[in-house]
Amino acid sequence: MLDQSVPVLELCDLTKHYPGVLALDRFSISLKAGEVRALLGKNGAGKSTAIKVLSGATMPDDGKILIDGRTRHILGPLDALHEGIATVYQEISLVPALSVAENILLGRWKKTDWFSGLISHAKGQAFARDILDRLKIDIDPATPVSRLNVAQQQLVEIAKAVSFDPRVLVLDEPTSALPQRQVDLLHDVVRTLSGLGTAIIYVTHRLHEVPKIAHSVSVLRDGQLIDTIPVEQATPAKITELMIGSNWQGMAFERSKKSGAPILRVENLSTEGKLNNISFELYPGEILGLAGLLSSGRTELLRAIFGLDAISGGNIIVDGTKVLKPNPQKMKALGLGLTAEDRKRDGLILDFSVEMNATLAPVDRISKHGWLDKAAARTLTQDVVEKLDVKTSSLDVHVGALSGGNQQKIVIGNWLNTQPRILLMDEPSRGVDVAAKEQIFKLIRQLASEGLAVLFVSSEIEEVLDVCDRILVIHEGEITDEYDHDAIDLSTLMARTMNAADDVEEQ
Amino acid sequence: MATDTQQRGFDLRKYVSTSGLLLAVIALFIILALIAPNFLSSRNLLNVLRAVSFNGIIACGMTLMIIQGDIDISIGSAVAWSSSLLGVLVIKMGWPMGLAVPVVLVQGMLIHALAGYIRVKWLVPSFVLTLALFMMLRGAARQITNAFPISPFPEGFAFWGGGTIDMFGLGIPVPVIIMLIVFAIFYVISTRTVFGRSVYCVGGNEHATHLSGISVGRTRIITFMLVGLLSAFVGILLSSRIQSGSSQIALGLEFEVIAAVIIGGTSLMGGAGTIVGTFLGVLFIGLIGNGMVLMGVSPFMQEIVRGFIILVAVFVSILQVRTGKGRTS
Repeated sequence: MLDQSVPVLELCDLTKHYPGVLALDRFSISLKAGEVRALLGKNGAGKSTAIKVLSGATMPDDGKILIDGRTRHILGPLDALHEGIATVYQEISLVPALSVAENILLGRWKKTDWFSGLISHAKGQAFARDILDRLKIDIDPATPVSRLNVAQQQLVEIAKAVSFDPRVLVLDEPTSALPQRQVDLLHDVVRTLSGLGTAIIYVTHRLHEVPKIAHSVSVLRDGQLIDTIPVEQATPAKITELMIGSNWQGMAFERSKKSGAPILRVENLSTEGKLNNISFELYPGEILGLAGLLSSGRTELLRAIFGLDAISGGNIIVDGTKVLKPNPQKMKALGLGLTAEDRKRDGLILDFSVEMNATLAPVDRISKHGWLDKAAARTLTQDVVEKLDVKTSSLDVHVGALSGGNQQKIVIGNWLNTQPRILLMDEPSRGVDVAAKEQIFKLIRQLASEGLAVLFVSSEIEEVLDVCDRILVIHEGEITDEYDHDAIDLSTLMARTMNAADDVEEQ
Repeated sequence: MATDTQQRGFDLRKYVSTSGLLLAVIALFIILALIAPNFLSSRNLLNVLRAVSFNGIIACGMTLMIIQGDIDISIGSAVAWSSSLLGVLVIKMGWPMGLAVPVVLVQGMLIHALAGYIRVKWLVPSFVLTLALFMMLRGAARQITNAFPISPFPEGFAFWGGGTIDMFGLGIPVPVIIMLIVFAIFYVISTRTVFGRSVYCVGGNEHATHLSGISVGRTRIITFMLVGLLSAFVGILLSSRIQSGSSQIALGLEFEVIAAVIIGGTSLMGGAGTIVGTFLGVLFIGLIGNGMVLMGVSPFMQEIVRGFIILVAVFVSILQVRTGKGRTS
């Protein structure tokens, strides 16, 4: 079926620098007509940069993009569309109140014959219906998008991209937000499109869909193309090996012995549509890792335990006592803390001083009977700055002026100031430089040795393996595996998180 | 270090927003002293203070309201409703002052507590919510009074809104003294209490505040209650001043108060603002108004000037956002 002659898309030596990072390093691939190429790599491997370059969201420092053998200059998103590259992003960006047809034609609405100031819904819907039919998508173009489910919306996004008649379609993790049964729907559309001759770059973290949908696999690591292999050779083991490489060296930490009774027990915890019957125990002095993909439910689990999201079933038990209706105030009083994944949104008040931010949570320790004790706040902040080695010129600087690593230290310090017994840490190393990352991990390990229990989430599987004593794998809202840190190796763990368990067992 | 320069920029901005306003007030004072006839007489200056005292009292609560990211446009109606209710209770129903006044204060607090609860529970934007209150309370005031003033109140009541106390050889109007006390109380609340700090945090970043185990809902509702309390309180003071319970008073008060708070440097985006700034904002508006009256500027022209000043204040705050707060993304 594949036309073997001229490549539809060729990328030659694409290079992109960001301050301090070489995000793409002479990246070259070529795709034939109708070829579906899975693009794989860890977080930060360069996939997003590659997509940004293709979609015109950013310009490469060097390198060429060829379509049908001719060099194209892509200076912006519109150029990309005109030159034949359409991109569908992970986040859905449709206007919910408008119809499917209006969304597909957003900004290019068909006008009536007699007056170009009026939109012709009939023409627009005919146009949209034509595209939907071509893709064999069974959705009425007159339906408002707000009535569609996520998968259908994703299909509308694809139809919208296809309406530009692209030669190349880039799909950025199109299935990450979809439940399993809706994934097939999307795969069908991708196959149809491939049959029509469109070359497709398919970015995914879900290894098990690769053999179902892709013809070939390219793996990126540190901005470089590591290898491109036909899908027949792309076993999970092979892919993870390519993704990780051999130069990974773990950080060695002293492990602490967990002791006594569990301080936190979670029993059959469920939330609406996100978590399904999750049970585990956390012991004092233990760092328990939660390994899973972006929308696997890891953040949701921390949020549910901390009372930020409503739970639909199950128990949260602290010190053997069931917590009724958890909320952040209650959990804080019980000795829990949560450092949020998105520190700018949930962790800090960027315009406020370092001192304010380092003493947000420990209200009880900086006040008496409702009156602030400013000296106490100062002392607590100084402690944090010293203990966590925060680089700041004064305690009155607004926290937004600090570097990512120092901001993260303030987020952690804010909670350490509450003298917690259980710390839920969501991606504490996100956007943090290497030095600060190591300091933070050392600190966490040290606190664990002093008896703190930590539930640790990271997108970096290596970190989970480095830092944690025990690891839970979470997949689509369920805990699928549990390992001691010395009972599992990196590539197995990575395959487990990226994938439903059965695929791994096949090998 | 990069943080050093940014810190200086930040401190400078803070410095400009309050001290800049102080300079503006002083400059305005000097200009008026030079060009406006009779401006410097103690009688005139006390008049300026008396004229702003009622607005000033409510502006204290409004400052917290805007800092926490909410707004309340119902205060004028709440003042009129409280005045009318006091008139009905005392004059028509014969309640003693000692009972009617606390009842009016408490109902003011409760109505706003309910509004705050709805704001928190159903996430109704405070503008819409207080727009509803704005209409309902004004209507209720007219309903119970038939839109006629109810008078007279017992003797002695006039002291609170219209009396003076001799201090420093001057007769200082009682509402002025009350205003200064309220400002002092709110200064302490905003700078020294957990509640005041929570108000800033809620306006600065609601998510982070909630996640830090601070009750966002409770903080919001308390602020609503304080504004309700102050509105009822001003309703009572105004009744005393005009010696009747009236549904027609305080028309447009909400926008004068909000204007003073904004001129005082409080950000409508929430998270930033000071009671001292609001005090200066109140003074600034009072001085401008007084100066224009003394110089015989027509009332219509005065409105144009007041509007223009708000525009300037908003422009200044936008410049501050551009240079500083815009970095949040």
